[in-house]
Amino acid sequence: MSEKTLLTVEQLSCGYGKTTVIHDLSFQVKAGERLCILGPNGCGKTTLLRALAGVLPCQGRVEADGLMLEGMSPKQRARKIALMSQFSQTAFDYTVYEAVMLGRYAHQSGFPFPVKTEADSKAVEEALRLTDAWELREQMVTKLSGGQLQRVFLAKTFAQSPKIILLDEPANHLDLRSQAELIESLQNWAAEGERCVAGVFHDISLALAFADTALLLDQGSALVCGPVEQLDFNLLDGLYGMDVRCYMKSLLGRWE
Amino acid sequence: MKLKRQPGTGAKMGILFAAALLALVFGVGAGSVYVPPGDILAIVAGRFLGLPLPDHIPESFSVMVLDMRLPRVLLAFLTGAALSAGGGVMQSVLQNPLASPFGLGVSAGAGLGAALVIVFGLASAGIGTFLLPGLSLGFALGTVFLVLLLSARIDRGMSNVTIVLVGMVVSLFCNAVMTLLATASPEYAQRIQLWQLGSFSMREWSAVWALLPVTVVAFLYFLRYAGELDVMTFGEEQAVAMGVDLRRVKGRLLAAVAVLVGVAVAFVGIIGFVDLIIPHIARRLFGASHRRVLPASVLLGGTFLVLCDLAARTLTPPHEIPIGSITALLGAPFFLYLFFAGRREA
Repeated sequence: MSEKTLLTVEQLSCGYGKTTVIHDLSFQVKAGERLCILGPNGCGKTTLLRALAGVLPCQGRVEADGLMLEGMSPKQRARKIALMSQFSQTAFDYTVYEAVMLGRYAHQSGFPFPVKTEADSKAVEEALRLTDAWELREQMVTKLSGGQLQRVFLAKTFAQSPKIILLDEPANHLDLRSQAELIESLQNWAAEGERCVAGVFHDISLALAFADTALLLDQGSALVCGPVEQLDFNLLDGLYGMDVRCYMKSLLGRWE
Repeated sequence: MKLKRQPGTGAKMGILFAAALLALVFGVGAGSVYVPPGDILAIVAGRFLGLPLPDHIPESFSVMVLDMRLPRVLLAFLTGAALSAGGGVMQSVLQNPLASPFGLGVSAGAGLGAALVIVFGLASAGIGTFLLPGLSLGFALGTVFLVLLLSARIDRGMSNVTIVLVGMVVSLFCNAVMTLLATASPEYAQRIQLWQLGSFSMREWSAVWALLPVTVVAFLYFLRYAGELDVMTFGEEQAVAMGVDLRRVKGRLLAAVAVLVGVAVAFVGIIGFVDLIIPHIARRLFGASHRRVLPASVLLGGTFLVLCDLAARTLTPPHEIPIGSITALLGAPFFLYLFFAGRREA
């Protein structure tokens, strides 16, 4: 396997104030991979994403696309890593097109005003088409439904043209069809070029449908990291304190 | 695809600009003695371009326009512009459409400074007319600095919730000290209260020359950060992840807002609601993009305060209504309307 490693995390520790949430965590994500981060509430999933996106300070080594995260300017980092937050919303009246264009912030420069280039408009159009939000481009983001809004935020994330996309519960508040479309857009995105996705999921079935590798977090440490096919369900049982497989089957059983 | 421009932005901005000019001319013309626009133009041209004054304009008109009405109207316009621009920036930095620069402690600090000058009679000590505005500006900036310092101490990330809460607590504390001062020396209580409601009366060119450069520079500074402000409306976490150097940008913008609003408040007192409603209207008219909202806020806010001041000095002659009560009378119901109209749609 000669796939390029896009994200390397080595002995990462971080937390809030005196509480350490992530302890000495190490894992890697290769190009083309879709990693799902699983674990019960409070195990540090969101904290991990926030640290990787530069929102939380952390100790340890994080390498994105071969470059150390430490020492990067915020714009440089944003060109490598994008984060789709859990509760993305806005009370301000931007059009969908404007909102997605804001995703290009890290790519624009110029004084006194950053100049929007042809590459910016191309990336925005591509992102809008990939998320099926092109038709919405002139609508106000404040007037969209939850599903539409999530598509627009995904488009904004794509427009940022990162190598790595971090997702925090991307399917929250989405109906089934929107969930399926979101997963598909992300899989298509990850399949092209040197890109990877790491996402936090609560819905294990959805996570397994989306991902090809899984990182199991237990109290801020990696319990296991590897291909989803090799995921040991007994580990999940211990982690969640219940018979996960039995529960999932009983849920699905209602459809037979 | 070509970048889409909001339809009619230029035309709408032109209308606002024309309205601002009209309000300025009308503001100078109206009053106990009416001065027609042509005469105003002639007087202003006479002063600043050295043209001879036409014979039909009495000298008293010239004095009234140049020394009383023009500086007052310009001061009202600049104050409205400063408060609105500051309000717009504040709301975006804190991602809260209900935020106000006064929430940082600007008004409470300025009020305390002014009350100290009034009560201890420092103004009569002959140090000059700039003592009251100077000290109230100093207190305003000191208070904001204290708010930011405490916020950073409590929460290293200086999150918006922390800043808003600390700003509120510090403001309440300053207000309490001011009330104490007013109660301890009742003979000054009325002056303190009047100062708090704001007024453009008895203002001279010196105030205009002090506020003008601050407003222009702050406005350009805000415009330079228009892109960052846009990104910041999506939340702190998103702003960082999208590449904004949040701590630095936020600190700079909040400091700039404090200076701008502090200078304005120091000269004219506390005038509420302008900073709250004008950016809202600007966003309704132009969408949320700061490259449009900031200029629109400046024009709208300036026009609005010129007209409010006109009402303040002409509705109940010879008495003046405190300008702060007019903006609140108009602003409060309008704000409720804006807020609830928006809610019902959503």
